Amino acid sequence: MQGVIGAFAELDSTVHAIEDLRKQNFTDITVYSPTPRHELEEAVNAPKSPVRRFTLIGGLLGLSFGYWIPIWISDYWPIVVGGKPVASWVPYTIIGFELSVLIGSLATVFGMFAVSRLPRLTLTVGYDARFSHGDFGVWVPTGPDRAAQATELLRKHGAVEVRNER
Amino acid sequence: MATVMQPRRDDDEVRRPNIPSAGNRLPAIRDYEQVDRDVMATLQPSLGWFLSLGTAVLCLIIGALAWTYQIHEGLGAAGYQPPVMWGVYIVTFVFWVGIGHAGTLISAILYLFRAGFRTTIYRASEAMTVFAVMTAGLFPILHLGRPWKFFWLIPYPNWRLIWPNPKSPLVWDVFAILTYLTVSATFFYVGLIPDIAVLRDKETNPIRKQIFAQMALGWRNSDREWRHFTRAYLFLAAFATPLVLSVHSVVSFDFAMALTPGWHATIFPPYFVAGAIFSGIGMVFTILIPLRKVFKLEHIITINDLDAAAKLCLFTSMVVGLAYLTEFQVAWMSGNKMEQEYFWNRVFGQWAWAAWTMLICNMVLPLSLFSQKLRRNTKWLFVFSIFVNIGMWFERFVIVIPSLSHEFEPWQWGGYHPTWVDYAILLGSFGWFFMWFLLFIRQLPVMAIAEVKEIVPPKMRGLHDPAERVHNLDTLTLDPINTAGDD
Repeated sequence: MQGVIGAFAELDSTVHAIEDLRKQNFTDITVYSPTPRHELEEAVNAPKSPVRRFTLIGGLLGLSFGYWIPIWISDYWPIVVGGKPVASWVPYTIIGFELSVLIGSLATVFGMFAVSRLPRLTLTVGYDARFSHGDFGVWVPTGPDRAAQATELLRKHGAVEVRNER
Repeated sequence: MATVMQPRRDDDEVRRPNIPSAGNRLPAIRDYEQVDRDVMATLQPSLGWFLSLGTAVLCLIIGALAWTYQIHEGLGAAGYQPPVMWGVYIVTFVFWVGIGHAGTLISAILYLFRAGFRTTIYRASEAMTVFAVMTAGLFPILHLGRPWKFFWLIPYPNWRLIWPNPKSPLVWDVFAILTYLTVSATFFYVGLIPDIAVLRDKETNPIRKQIFAQMALGWRNSDREWRHFTRAYLFLAAFATPLVLSVHSVVSFDFAMALTPGWHATIFPPYFVAGAIFSGIGMVFTILIPLRKVFKLEHIITINDLDAAAKLCLFTSMVVGLAYLTEFQVAWMSGNKMEQEYFWNRVFGQWAWAAWTMLICNMVLPLSLFSQKLRRNTKWLFVFSIFVNIGMWFERFVIVIPSLSHEFEPWQWGGYHPTWVDYAILLGSFGWFFMWFLLFIRQLPVMAIAEVKEIVPPKMRGLHDPAERVHNLDTLTLDPINTAGDD
């Protein structure tokens, strides 16, 4: 991958740089920040995270499995006590609830990893250790034809360092 | 790290951070780098840490030796004798499960409620939760005559063709506790990933750097990662919230589903949940106050955070106190002779000493927290937290032992005398818990670095004066109470 990375010390400069880059039709911009900031999220204007779908599907699967397992056990090994139902939904709701939480939570984490493309064996081009400490980073994937324009834009908005990476 | 959106104010170029911890204030922290420096300073080993770890391991060894002796001699070594066949192990099991509730309460429920004071204390509380549930999980196994058969409780296809009874509260316990342990540990680890990435990027030792790199899973702090992370964190918190309430409710069913006097009450689930939160916050104070002092973190874990946690402790103590009184009222109005006799015996009979210890520690002493001066006095909070731990252990003692020793008919009545094995294993459980906690604080950040950074104003280009910067972001109102009162 080829592109330009700019490191910023200030949040507002980063936001302005992203907005300007988007106006100039630079796409697929990646922003690095030591902590999540809504200003950056809005500037990038990314779509909603699809993690919620994993949560819903995992929760429903867990709920179904959590009811199915005790009902199946009761049917396979019936314990008949005083005319009471062999399979009773009231106590099985506990198992249904617990498994919906368990599988729903694990599915959420799996979904987060899948859509974030984690785990990652190598850190991508352009990543710098200072982005986890205090600085913000803007990665602009671009070919040599527009690299100079991106560099100039990043510098104009106060990037402390701009590098071409590949 | 929420992503709940608020209407945009057009006049504000850079808005107030839209995060649950936005109400928190850390005036002593100037920038993100200081957060890294101050939090990571806790990772340096010290003589005190080695001595504490040595003591914890010694306690654990004593407990392990006692368990070995018990396996050899049988459960009789633990002081069980009819009619009391549930003793210190079940008491301690409920105690540790209760301790394990505060962490998830602080990290998940207070997150959903946008309680700012959770930001600096939730990581240590979450670690406490995971290790407390790990400790609690040992006790039902210790209580088994043949502990090596514990896995029979898990429903899995087996050659015996038998399955556990899913209508048994003990099987519900297996599902509830294992789910709670798994979800708490997952929540804990997911929250740690961005902080482990900070450690990875700062570490100079190549072996440790490699280990942190593996644990961070290649986290890069990109906008895509944060977007999915914050959403997943919100959903995990939403799952963990009812889970916290369900787990101790299920534990309370172990008692409430029996017909034994003192146990068979519908009040048990909320009573247990409130007690668990109360005891958990007590343990949070026991752990955090020395931690804050030793690592000089008073400017991050502020006195305001402790004050807010103390208010929560006061509230839950009042819920617990109300439950104690309601139990007596229910027994009195039930017209049930056995129930009335049992409760009379609880406070004026053979177990009066335990019941009064419980009542004084859990109902009377917490009233001191109505005083703001005492809520902001860390020495008192620490001493108070020790009494809460003692009181809540005795609460479980009072629930378990007097009921079994004073059932329906006088010929069923009896006594209970814990042996040295019980005490050694109780001591061992504290050793096990503190060993894990001490190892944690030496290896991983005790505070969520990324979340603490959320409440620190970021650097802004046009505003070099930090006070002006802060004003512009509307994140800091210098409240006089904010810095006052810390001793």
